[in-house]
Amino acid sequence: MNGLTAVRALTTLPVVTLGGDAVAHVKDTVFDTSAGRIASFTLTGRTLLSGPLPRDLPWPAVHCLGRHAVMVRDAGALCELPLSAARRDAARGRLLGAQVLTDDGETVGTVLDVLVEGGTSGRLVAFRLAAHRELVHGSRHRRHRVYVPRGEAVSLTGRTLVIPAHARTYVTDDLPAFVARVGAGHDRGRDVAS
Amino acid sequence: MMLFSRVRGLPVLTPGDADRVGEVRGLTVDGAPWRVTHVRIGRGRLRKGAVVAWSALRAAGPDMLVVRSAGGPDEVPPHRELLGSRVLTECGEERGTVLDAAFDPVTARIEAVLTTRGELPPDRLLGLGDHALVVRSGTAHHRV
Repeated sequence: MNGLTAVRALTTLPVVTLGGDAVAHVKDTVFDTSAGRIASFTLTGRTLLSGPLPRDLPWPAVHCLGRHAVMVRDAGALCELPLSAARRDAARGRLLGAQVLTDDGETVGTVLDVLVEGGTSGRLVAFRLAAHRELVHGSRHRRHRVYVPRGEAVSLTGRTLVIPAHARTYVTDDLPAFVARVGAGHDRGRDVAS
Repeated sequence: MMLFSRVRGLPVLTPGDADRVGEVRGLTVDGAPWRVTHVRIGRGRLRKGAVVAWSALRAAGPDMLVVRSAGGPDEVPPHRELLGSRVLTECGEERGTVLDAAFDPVTARIEAVLTTRGELPPDRLLGLGDHALVVRSGTAHHRV
């Protein structure tokens, strides 16, 4: 059940209680970059014209993150948060559009999307880049399907992502295969660690 | 055993003079245990509908429902339509929509919910709200 989800696809996803009521929609995903996982979601109201809500949904209150809804136990899971604080958090932990640098100091692209593990983990798994020609050759279409596993990243803040100059990036048309490779690498890492 | 889709549209009568109150517009369900609590009755375009508790029915047959009196209950629970509602697992995955549901007319307990992706026993239902019917996933997936 822990499939990978693209963070861009989370925007507009409904927040649904176990009682079946939709209480909000996801606006932005805020990352805890040091822990490498989702920190919270900022929210909008349910109708088309309702603006951002002065509430957020911290990750520990999420029951399960699925492909079609973010499940929470009840409406009490949402925390009051002033809009200014929500905007500041979103800007700080947004990651989308962050600059990608190599450890040589060269800019090689921007982050287009972030892949996270669904379910109850919310772990950050990989980044999708819009790579410059220095990193990957080929058409623009091809350069927008460059994936970097999170394990490769040297450092990570809200606005910049630093990867090693020799990073093993993957250009892929086949996301499931990439996920399998990342999963294998992740398991290997765990074996080494244990 | 009665089906929600068969009950919808049945005439509702009062016993004494066989006066026709209206026809069934929908059934309100409630959880824990899952059962039919109220019948919503439509009384034509220009008249407001009525709500009658299932326990206030005198008889529920395949061709008509007979109510004891046309007076409604004191408090009416919010109506959530079961038929046609989206099915969502507690892990946030969609599992089709509800096509129909079967219930026992005597105890009013729901016995099965038929969805576009198969049949669900009532013990897997978690909640019915304005967005979806939430069901327990087949493979339990709980936070530890």
